[in-house]
Parts: sequence; C-alpha cells; structure tokens
Amino acid sequence: MDSKSERSAVLAITDDTSYAVTALNAYWEFENENPKRFDPLIILQASSLARLPLESYNVDLVIYISRSVEFPFDELYAEIFRVLVPGGSLVVYGLQSGTKEADTAMSAIEHKLLLAGFLDGKRFHLKSVAQSFGVKAKKPSWKLGSSFAIKKKTVKNPLKIQMDDNSDLIDEDSLLTEEDLKKPQLPPVGDCEVGSTRKACKNCTCGRAEQEEKVQKLELTMDQINNPQSACGNCGLGDAFRCSTCPYKGVPPFKLGEKVCFLISFPSASGMNSCM
Amino acid sequence: MEMKSMTLLILYATQTGNALDVAERIAREAERRACTVVISSTDDYDANSLPAEDTVIFVVSTTGQGDTPDSMKVFWRFLLQRNLGSHWLEGIHYAVFGLGDSGYQKYNFVAKKLDKRLSDLGATAVVERGLGDDQHPSGYEAALDPWLSSLWSRLNEIKPHFFPKGPDFLVSNEELIGLPKVQVTYHNVNDMDSRLSTATDFKYLQMQIGRARSMSSGKVPHEKSKPDAFLKMVKNFPLTRASHEKDVRHFEFEFVSQVIKYEIGDVLEVLPSQSPAAVDSFIQRCNLDPESLITVHPREMENRHIDNNVNTLDVPIKLRTFVELTMDVTSASPRRYFFEVMSFFATAEHEKERLQYFASPEGRDDLYQYNQKERRTVVEVLEDFPSVQMPFEWFVQLVPPLKNRAFSISSSPLAHPTQVHLTVDVVSWTTPFKRKRQGLCSTWLASLDPEQSIYIPVWFHKGLLPPPPPSLPLIVIGPGTGCAPFRGFVEERAVQSQCKAKGGGFYAAFSRDQPQKVYVQHKMQEQSERIWNLLCEGAAIYVAGSSTKMPSDVMVAFEEIISKESGAPRESAVRWLRSLEKAGKYHVEAWS
Repeated sequence: MDSKSERSAVLAITDDTSYAVTALNAYWEFENENPKRFDPLIILQASSLARLPLESYNVDLVIYISRSVEFPFDELYAEIFRVLVPGGSLVVYGLQSGTKEADTAMSAIEHKLLLAGFLDGKRFHLKSVAQSFGVKAKKPSWKLGSSFAIKKKTVKNPLKIQMDDNSDLIDEDSLLTEEDLKKPQLPPVGDCEVGSTRKACKNCTCGRAEQEEKVQKLELTMDQINNPQSACGNCGLGDAFRCSTCPYKGVPPFKLGEKVCFLISFPSASGMNSCM
Repeated sequence: MEMKSMTLLILYATQTGNALDVAERIAREAERRACTVVISSTDDYDANSLPAEDTVIFVVSTTGQGDTPDSMKVFWRFLLQRNLGSHWLEGIHYAVFGLGDSGYQKYNFVAKKLDKRLSDLGATAVVERGLGDDQHPSGYEAALDPWLSSLWSRLNEIKPHFFPKGPDFLVSNEELIGLPKVQVTYHNVNDMDSRLSTATDFKYLQMQIGRARSMSSGKVPHEKSKPDAFLKMVKNFPLTRASHEKDVRHFEFEFVSQVIKYEIGDVLEVLPSQSPAAVDSFIQRCNLDPESLITVHPREMENRHIDNNVNTLDVPIKLRTFVELTMDVTSASPRRYFFEVMSFFATAEHEKERLQYFASPEGRDDLYQYNQKERRTVVEVLEDFPSVQMPFEWFVQLVPPLKNRAFSISSSPLAHPTQVHLTVDVVSWTTPFKRKRQGLCSTWLASLDPEQSIYIPVWFHKGLLPPPPPSLPLIVIGPGTGCAPFRGFVEERAVQSQCKAKGGGFYAAFSRDQPQKVYVQHKMQEQSERIWNLLCEGAAIYVAGSSTKMPSDVMVAFEEIISKESGAPRESAVRWLRSLEKAGKYHVEAWS
C-alpha cells in the first residue's frame, strides 16, 4: 500500500465487530501501516449485505472480515468494485479450520474477484492470527471510460480490411461503358481458303465457286494412293509440312513410293485401324 | 520514396487453363528480359496485399455467360467493396489481358470490368487492356503478341528498374528452357504395394485413380482426385433415327460401388478411357517401359532428400496407368509452348525449323490452322515430327491433362434410386483438312456393351439448375440434349405427385425436320399466352442446352413475350427478367 500522508478511506465489512477490530489491527501490522492513519467505516451484517450505502469511487480499501465460512455474495463484489477508487484494494479475510478448506475458500474468492474485474489477486496469511487466511486484489487503475491513443494506420499499410457479408459492394455492371455493352463485332472470317467449311454462294461473284471446283478435282486418285510421289518432297512428311493446296492434306505421313495407309487415328477405346 | 517490390506480379484467373498458359508465357518473357517475376492464381493471393505491390499484370478469362472464373470470385468480390475508396491503389501500375469469345454478348466482360475497377481504385494502367478472342482465326494469341510487345516497351520506359540488364537484353529461348517443372522417379518392384491391380477391388481402383490424378496435378492429394463412385452401363440405345446426322444416346448406369445420393439438376463427371493402342504407341514413341513403376512430383521437392525414402503420400504406379489416366494423348490439342519445347529436342533440321516457326509470332496463324483448328492430338503431332526425342518429364508437364467430361443427369433418384441416366450427343465432325474426328468420351460411352461390365469412374457435383420445390410452376426450355436435366425434373414430379403435372405440356421444336428452321424461341412465341400466364403464377424459368447463342436468344424471346402480353415497354420487361434472375428464379446451364 502506498504511504500517503493524508487519510485513506477504509471500509470494513464484517459480521463481528470485536473480531473485526482485532483483525484490522493485525492487518495493519502485517502491512506495516500506522493504524492511526485509518478511520474505518465499519458495516455490519456482512453475510447479508448486497448493497453499500456509499458513493462510487469513494474508498481506498475495503476489508471484508469474516469469522465464519460465509463469504460475500456475488453482488457484493460488484458493489465493492463500485465504491473503490481506481487502484484501490479489496482484502477478504477469514478464519478457516484446516488448510485444505482454506485453499478451497481462497480459490473460490480468487475466481469471484476475477469475474468482478479485480486484478493482482494475492493470497496471504497473518502470522499473528492462527488459521487465518486472506486474499487481496486491486481494482484496475484507470477510470471507466478512459481512452487511450489508437494508432491511426495509413491506408498504404497492409491493413486487413475485413470482408463482412453486409459490406457495401458497388454495382459491377456500372463499370461497363456504352461501347462495352454493344454486341461485339466478330473478327473478319479469314476463311478465304477454299476447301474449309464455308461454301461458295449459289450466285457466287467472287470466284470462290470456281476455286472450289478446282479443289474437288484435287481428290486423290488410286494411283496417288498406291504410288505416292511428291515433286516438292514435302507431301509425305505430314500435315505440319504440307502446302495448303497439297492433295495429300489430311492424310497421315507416308513414305514416297509406298502405299498410303489411312489410319483412322485411335477414335475410341475399342480402337479401329484400317489400311486401304 | 517507399521501398516497393522489384518483382513483377502476374495474377491470373483461369477456367480451362488458357489464362494460366498466357500467364506462364508472360512470366517466361519476363525472365528472358532478366525481370524478376512471380505468378499466382487469384484464389491463392490475398487482395489485401495489392497496395504493397509495384506493378501487377492481370490475365483473366471470361466464362460462358460473362462470369468470372471460380478462382476469381472471392478476389473480385473484395475489389467491389465500396469502402476501398478511390485511392486504395494509388501509385500502383497495372495491365489487364482478357480471354474471351466475341460470339457471346458479354464478350470479355470480366477483363473490361476489372480494368475499369482498378482504375477507379486509383491504379494507373501501363498499357490499354488486351482482349484475346477465341473467334479470331488464330485465337487469343493474335491479340496477345502485339499487346505483350507494347507492354515490354512501355515498362522499359516507365519502370526501368524491372530490367536490370537494360532494355535490349533478351535471353534466347534456347538458353531459357531450363528444367521441366516435374520430376519422375523410377522405383523398384519391391517398393510397390503388394496388391496387384485387379479391377474388381473398387477401393484399390479408387486409390489408384486418386494417386495418379493428384500426382498429375502437382497439388496436395485432394479428396476430389478420387472418384466418388463407379458405374456400370446397363442400357445403351439411340434416341435419334439411324439416318439422322446426329447420334444422341440414352444411357442408363447402375452403381457398382456405393450408391451416391444425387439430386435432379446435378452434373455427372466421367473420366473417359483412352484407346489402349494409342497409349501404347505414345509410350513406345517415348522409348519407355510401360510396366515401370513411377512417382511424379514437382521439381521443387528435389532439394528435400527423397532419394530412397518413398514419400508416403506417393505410392508408385505403373507408367502405363499414369499415362492412361492423366495424360490426354488422343483428344486434346497441345499448346504453343509444347511446340516451342519440342523444337529443342528435334534432331532433324527441317523439323526443328518448322517447330520453331510454329512457336514464333510469324508462324502463329499456320500453327492455328495445323493444330487448334484441326484438333491435332499429341499422338498425331509426334507422328509428324519423328525425330523429336523429348524426355518424359517434359511430356508430363506439357501434354494436356486428361479432363473429365461433364453431363447433366437426366434421371431422378426418386424414380431410379440406384441408377443414373444420361442423354449424350455422340459427337463427330469433319475437320477443315477433311479428317473425321470423334469425341473421346461420348464415343467411348456409346461403344460400351452392358454385357461387358466396364467400370466407369465418376464424380457428382451441383450444376446451375437447382431442384425446384415440388409445387412451383416451371417453364423449362431444353433444345437438343438440353432436355436431359428436365427429364429428371419430370420424373421427379411424376413420383412426387403420382400424376401428370397439372396442365403440363411438352412443346417440341424439331428444327431440322422441316424445310424452314424452327427454333425453340419460335415455339415459345407460339405459346406466348401460356407462358405469360405461368409467369403470372410465379413460375420459375430453367434453360439448358449445348449452344452458345441459345440462352440469349431465349432471353430475348421472353422479353418479347412479356412485353407483348403485358403491354409494358420492352425496357420494363428486361428489368423484370433481371429481377427474376436476382430472385433466383431464372436458371441457365449452357455447355459447349
């Protein structure tokens, strides 16, 4: 306890006055304090007490002294908390027959203290009083509602922006322009190559129809299949090397002079191969 | 001045792997210029950290109906918060490249919105947004090449600190190739699980598929790598006449493993089987032993001493099984980078040249004709370039992963508790080079004989068509195979009400049978009054089908019907439909 020159307000709650005085003296001795500094307000009938007739932040020290096994109601802890100044202490002190029971009692008190918001719970024994035990604790030393500086993080730092389900999302369709929404223009079909899927119109004026006729004539003859020759030398190499007008286009690679084999490339798991 | 990051950040949002491919290409080009770069998917990146960056490149795809990819949903929602203000990204530089398809009304909406939002948040664009278009003759690369050029040139101007070796420094592709991102470890027979792979043990099969697919994806083993169940086909018959151009089948499957509780509107994913002959031919081409036992892991793990310790997560599997289950060698086309890496391993000069040409901006269009438009497969590419001897690790990294195929379930579990039905279009087409091609999964399923007992690994997940409450009036539009989920809806209602749905009717539109084409929207117009009455009763609308245009055509038809029947102006009808969507009463599932 801090040694203040001024008087400290002390509240003693007890169910036995005479015992309380003895206990108090023993406590001051224990704490090396001059008893004259204190003029405790004593409140009786501790065992049935749930409310304290005091204003908040009034008392420096509350001592709860009990001769029996009865300990404060849960509500009393909250009241004591209320009347104590921040930084003030609560001492719960009693008599117990055996160490085991004392232990149990002290654990229970420590637990209640914690729940009520007290900090630094400590157990103690008074040597001068046999079979005594006690727990003391402190009320946290800042007032309720006090603020402390919150570091303002700059937006640039990887600040975790929480994604919550109700968060406001912009309408993504608003990101599109008039231009974007127009039906896209298909790229010009570079389908001039004759023999691909596009066919010449009935009244063809561009000459495609004539080209198609020529291509029809390029179909392979039996001779070309049985004895394939190649002026350019590339026809047998496979589609990768053939010209776009090569008569052997679409045919698997072959050796010049050898009969062309029309492998139907592995269509299904049941597989079919055929050589003409 | 604050110490800012000297690392260029690339954030990508990919749905089918294209945006990832572009992001990786940008990263390689950065590395070639000695620029330090980091790439990350938007779902692996905490948006809170954006203000700490210096320059961020965004590569974002727009999915079918104009939505963000799944991996971007949280990130995007974060950016839309009003309380971020207009200075949150002040001082940050950015660039956006979008991947989309101009065949859709909402063309590249994700990239356009992102670009505007970033600017509104205070960030500064390095270059104008680039918009890749699938409809372009040479795909998204056509827009990417010039955009990248201007990006590097502009960055060199305003952010020279990214290029410590100066603006003209450029490592050749040859030098940069580096090591493959995966490592393959070959194991002794003794390390192997003592159980042999006999197909009857489902738990084992499940584990095997799970292991292979986890290893392949390079990610931590995920529960979803293992199939949810195995099915066996019990019925397989065509719904279309034999002479018809299309071959649409009705399949009925039974659970052979545990029964999974599914709901109408759910989607079934199937792991297709590849032709054994093709898989064998591929392995042979790589000069590998199909019976060897391997584990596959990301190369970073090299530093930890795995050596003889078999990583408990990775039990070795047969090389053949790994290829079969995870590497698509017979249906998907490889990407441009595949050709680039192949060029290093070509020993014949003319092959090397051709591959380098295909990988260059000049050869981009020709590559598109040869590869993407033709739907050239890995096996076919290797046939054309016989001198290429590429290490297996590179194949593991670059061969397209074998993807599950998704189908809308066409049965109701109330009607068929131990079965799953599908309505599948067995796709076949002729390529520009006149080669006949078939869809891998649909053809395989169509070829299955119920007598055979072939086991089909499947997964179940929710689709975009939530099961409606039993008494809610419905308007369902499902042209072609779009009718599949609604067959389930009808079956369910039949069981629930034990009688035909009140006033129900099926109005079918057969578009190819008549001389003039009749589409579903025409049929809708014919039923204009009925539709309006149903809407007034509080009906919900469900649309499903395999067309890109159909959903928006149907929406337009609804707008017209509502406007006509109610007498309200068109804009009101549009707004009304939009509010219907927001209220969760307008659902669309479109597949391509």
